[in-house]
Amino acid sequence: MTDQSHRPDTSLSDCVLAALDIVVLEWEEGLREFRLQGVPPEWWSQCVGSTIRNSLDLSQCSPFLQDYLGGIHSVWQGSPGPIEKSGAWTEPDRQGGTMTLEARPLFLGPRKLVLIERLGSDFEHMRSIVQRARERMLAEDITAKSHRNTETRLIGQLEASERTKDDALALLQQLGLAAIVLDERGQITFATDRTLEMLGCAMQEILGRPWDQVLSFRKEDRLLIQHLLEGSSKIHSSGPLCFEGASSKWIELGIHRDLAHTGRRILIFNDRTEVHALRQALNEQASFHDLIGKSPAMLRVYQLVRDVAQVDTTVLIEGETGTGKELIARAIHSSSARKHKPFIAANCAGLTDSILTSQLFGHKRGAFTGAIQDQQGLFEAAEGGTLFLDEIGDIPPQVQTALLRVLQEKEITRLGEAKPRTVNVRVVAATHHNLSEDVLRGSFRADLLYRIRIARVQLPPLRDRREDIPLLAQSMLGQVCAATGKTVERLHPDTLRLLMSHSWPGNVRELKSAVEFAVISCKGNEICPMDLPPEIAGATVVPSPSVFIPLSGQDEKTRLLAALSEAKGNRTEAAKRLGISRATFYRRLGEFDLASDQ
Amino acid sequence: MIQKKICMLGGFAVGKTSLVRRFVTNVFSEHYQTTIGVTVEKKTVMVDQQDVMLMLWDLYGEDEFQHIRESYLRGSSGYILVMDGTRKATLDTARLLQQTVVRTVGPIPFVSIINKSDLQSEWEIDQPAIEQLREQGWPVFFGSAKLGQGVEELFGCLATMLLSPASPPRTCL
Ligand SMILES: Nc1nc2c(ncn2[C@@H]2O[C@H](COP(=O)(O)OP(=O)(O)OP(=O)(O)O)[C@@H](O)[C@H]2O)c(=O)[nH]1
Ligand SMILES: [Mg+2]
Repeated sequence: MTDQSHRPDTSLSDCVLAALDIVVLEWEEGLREFRLQGVPPEWWSQCVGSTIRNSLDLSQCSPFLQDYLGGIHSVWQGSPGPIEKSGAWTEPDRQGGTMTLEARPLFLGPRKLVLIERLGSDFEHMRSIVQRARERMLAEDITAKSHRNTETRLIGQLEASERTKDDALALLQQLGLAAIVLDERGQITFATDRTLEMLGCAMQEILGRPWDQVLSFRKEDRLLIQHLLEGSSKIHSSGPLCFEGASSKWIELGIHRDLAHTGRRILIFNDRTEVHALRQALNEQASFHDLIGKSPAMLRVYQLVRDVAQVDTTVLIEGETGTGKELIARAIHSSSARKHKPFIAANCAGLTDSILTSQLFGHKRGAFTGAIQDQQGLFEAAEGGTLFLDEIGDIPPQVQTALLRVLQEKEITRLGEAKPRTVNVRVVAATHHNLSEDVLRGSFRADLLYRIRIARVQLPPLRDRREDIPLLAQSMLGQVCAATGKTVERLHPDTLRLLMSHSWPGNVRELKSAVEFAVISCKGNEICPMDLPPEIAGATVVPSPSVFIPLSGQDEKTRLLAALSEAKGNRTEAAKRLGISRATFYRRLGEFDLASDQ
Repeated sequence: MIQKKICMLGGFAVGKTSLVRRFVTNVFSEHYQTTIGVTVEKKTVMVDQQDVMLMLWDLYGEDEFQHIRESYLRGSSGYILVMDGTRKATLDTARLLQQTVVRTVGPIPFVSIINKSDLQSEWEIDQPAIEQLREQGWPVFFGSAKLGQGVEELFGCLATMLLSPASPPRTCL
């Protein structure tokens, strides 16, 4: 029993080996071959094919095994050290898959063994960990690479857009364009150098600030801009607006939507100060108060008016009928220090002694029949202001005396009163007469003439300033259209030629009535020659101006008679032909004792 | 028949297994299954009128998880260094492996290939780096296991070098 129990049990060791799933090969030194020990696991035949008598035919082994077993002798012969494993290798398995094996040499006393095992679940577990780790590394590599690519692309794009921005900026600065960019809230996000120069401030002072705090526009302009900014169309242009910066400027404003960012606005300022100043100067020259004309003659008149307005003396305005003497008087008044006080105009022509006296100086109740109450005169009414006495050459001798007294004493006495009243009135007189001749003829007091002719403005007749005719005609056309509601826009060039060549004995007044006539006759929106009054429309030759001036003496009498006969005795028509008012025409007839004859 | 042991060396996932598969069985798979240990494949080629049996040792890729086991290298006649053109780091791995082989088995013949030339637009290994390798005496191939480009030439060249160890044939370079 005991003996038996110590005998090696070969079947047991075979079973153990089989259970361990291990192949055991032993090197038979004598036979110089490997022999299989025990029963090999069933996978073994895959590596070696069939084994005859347990001896291993190396040439039948898988390439790895051949290599390993072929080289193992050098391991056995080498110095004893850590026993080196073969490392894992893969063999095809029976199922068409693979199995992973590993071999190791083993010394048992003098016996040389090789153990071959099939790597199992632990190995598979390790393999799947490595697989996952490597897949993750590859994925991370791809992600990192795509990040790098994106970064490179973005940097490239950024650089490109920076370059574009720099170029655009350089261009903008080079152009000297004044522009600002506003964000959705109307705050400034950018301004060009030119703008900063215009505003007289530095970039950091305005960045992020609301535009209306930085750009000092007048209130109404600010509201207009606000309105435009809120609008939805692409471009708005407006102006010129007055910009009260370091120095006042007139600018034209363009508001553009930023196409790339809705809500953002680009404001472009065009400095129009110079143009504005020039235009204003031009306008000023083309008209003065209500006077129109920019001929040298009229420019001299404007200057004279300005000069005369500076002083407070009496002024005599001389000019043919219809030249606009009252407009000059009004211009003097409104350019003078008295401009906020009354301006009163009185026509002295054709009034009797007493009526004129009462009109000028006022009267006491009962001073004459019909004087039912106290009445102040025009002098008193014009207190502090200007009294314009038209046709001063026509005032009767008594009134001339009274007027002289007022001018000297600055006092008036109402008709029927004894006590004089002090007045402070500037007298501006006008006449179409040659008053010096009247003085010689004895119809006008010399001392009064000197008194009223301290300052003197001579208005040129229209024929002496023909270059003003287009301007005047156009302006009158506008006025007449506004008054009549007709829309006539312009004068045909032929019409203008006729107007330019007419001699205009009735001066601006005659021109005005010709335009009125033409507007009424006009069918379209352009005045044609045939729309003009017949005496202008029919004219072909420019008559000599000498025929019409001066309006005095025998010449004038001849003209009145000629006009009357041309008008077949119709006085209104005759007055129109002469370009003078009907009242003047009658007065003239009276002067020449023609009133009853005709 | 002459037998030659050739090791496929390189970083992980550079395409060692794919190149061997393409060469031996002319197949390719997009699916990546990392090699653990070694798989040995055989293929007979004709060099100078004689058949040569190439034993292709497809080793696992070198990385921080697995370092090359020097025992695998013993007995090698030559080796192939594989790089992945889309990953610059695989060039550095190839350099290290080359030094390891020289240390372990000496200056045996080798060729190198920059694989995945079908993805050339994504390559990170640039011309100057390649020039540098050539200056150091590396025969450098470009190829694609996926498209089968440069594969025959690669193995053919090494086989020729193994049989006439004087210098790499001109056609290789
Ligand atoms: N596009 C492309 N992919 C390739 C090419 N060669 C290999 N691949 C792919 O790259 C991955 C790795 O290929 P493997 O051949 O397994 O690489 P390996 O070098 O053997 O990898 P390890 O065994 O892990 O060291 C797989 O998904 C292949 O499909 C190629 O030429 N082009
Ligand atoms: Mg592999």
